[in-house]
Amino acid sequence: MRVELRHVSKSFSHNGHALEVLQDINLVVEEGEFVCLLGPSGCGKSTIVNLVAGLERPTSGDVLVGGKPVTGPDASRTVVFQDAALFPWLSVLGNVEFGLRMAGLEPRKRRERALEYIRLVHLSKFIQAYPHQLSGGMKQRVAIARALALQPEILLLDEPFASLDAQTRSVLQNELLEIWELARPTILFVTHNVREATGLADRVYVISSRPGRIRDVQPVTVPRPRHAEDPALLSHQHKILGLLGEEVEKVLREELGETVHFPEAQHPAAPERSLGMHI
Amino acid sequence: MLKLPKGSAFLKPVQATAFLFAAWELLSWAIVPDWPSAIEVGRILWRDVREPSFQAALGGSLSRMLAGYLLVMVIGISGGILLGRFPLVDQLMGSLAVAVHAIPGAAWVPLSIIWFGMTEQAVIFTIVLGAAGIVIVNTDTGIREVPPFIARAARTMGARGVKYFWFVVVPAAIPKIVDGLRLAWAFGWRALMAGELLTSVNGLGQRLSQVAKVGELDHLLAIMLLIAAIGIAVDGLIFKRPSSAGSIR
Repeated sequence: MRVELRHVSKSFSHNGHALEVLQDINLVVEEGEFVCLLGPSGCGKSTIVNLVAGLERPTSGDVLVGGKPVTGPDASRTVVFQDAALFPWLSVLGNVEFGLRMAGLEPRKRRERALEYIRLVHLSKFIQAYPHQLSGGMKQRVAIARALALQPEILLLDEPFASLDAQTRSVLQNELLEIWELARPTILFVTHNVREATGLADRVYVISSRPGRIRDVQPVTVPRPRHAEDPALLSHQHKILGLLGEEVEKVLREELGETVHFPEAQHPAAPERSLGMHI
Repeated sequence: MLKLPKGSAFLKPVQATAFLFAAWELLSWAIVPDWPSAIEVGRILWRDVREPSFQAALGGSLSRMLAGYLLVMVIGISGGILLGRFPLVDQLMGSLAVAVHAIPGAAWVPLSIIWFGMTEQAVIFTIVLGAAGIVIVNTDTGIREVPPFIARAARTMGARGVKYFWFVVVPAAIPKIVDGLRLAWAFGWRALMAGELLTSVNGLGQRLSQVAKVGELDHLLAIMLLIAAIGIAVDGLIFKRPSSAGSIR
């Protein structure tokens, strides 16, 4: 299903003042498209996910899914959160079955479907394990299986791999792409990692910070499977880094209250780093 | 010097207890001659627990505690759920629950005696009033304070209404409810003793007051030791969380 944000702004009240997090966001994710939102920490990109998920309402503007305004959360739009957000009292199987139980699926079908998606993320050996027994990468696999088991129209991922080590992250990125090619859900994927965004997405929205605005849209036309050293990919990354470098400096200036400038060679937004890591 | 085995959670308390008893024995033997010796108290306790009339008193106390505690669980958890779920009930009854919780178990005994006389029921009533409050308050808090990340994840997967309550809110509250039940055990045990001391039902509390009247200090200590041991044993055996849950990496 198509996702569209039209002139969306969002403010939160913070110590009595209104703090504007998003300003006039116009964004489209076409049906079956893989779109990344890329921006430094605190730019409001997670808020965009929450708006599409229906967990928050825009202050002004419209959030449309399949042409209809979003009025609340719905199982057709599932979310993979950064911290996995698994239910600690349920086993892997229980977590993946949860949404199906909410949907009122009968126990046998529920079990079958859950096992199918657990197999998809390669956790069949761990169906009885509890979240506290799993590593970070395994938890995210469960979160992905849990979100996919509901066979959503739209899959929202909010920095799902940000707290994982580089190897685990790249394995999970590849698996996510494989799964996406299989079922073709519409994906909105939030990240602060330039390499991740260009490696995964059909298009990358670059978000500026405070308030969050759309700075640029970059279609990534490199065919999949993509190779990290592909010159076309590197040139995309370079272009985005140029835009983001200014943003990172802006955030630092605001937070530290002084002029910060990085020589080109030590730029904090080098592609292998995560943006905002040093803020 | 005793060498404590590393990583053993079992031997340490045993050794600590042995040390305390040795110190007690030494104290009574060398420093305060009037104080009953640990060995003598232990011998009395051993004699007591084999004696049928004492066993009847012990059994009476334990069965009262069991009855009272079951009532505490039912009243505490269902009351807490009602308070947590329905804001109106909370407005009407919330402060009452807090007030009940603030009154020590022993302070309920006089009222219990007026209502129920010197009976079993009076003692059980004391346990319930002394211990249900903490379960109500904890259950209520657990139900209100579902961690936001859990609430959000559940809502995105279509959980709402009654299903949200039973499959998300209640399980999320369980750690808090268990904490409440654990404290309720301790409060209930205290209330039981207060109730038995002041009413004359056959139980450990009544035994205490009997031996105190005739001045049997060693016997008194023996019964108190048993009371402490039961309190600790139940807390340790039932409520101690299994810490052996391993990690798969």
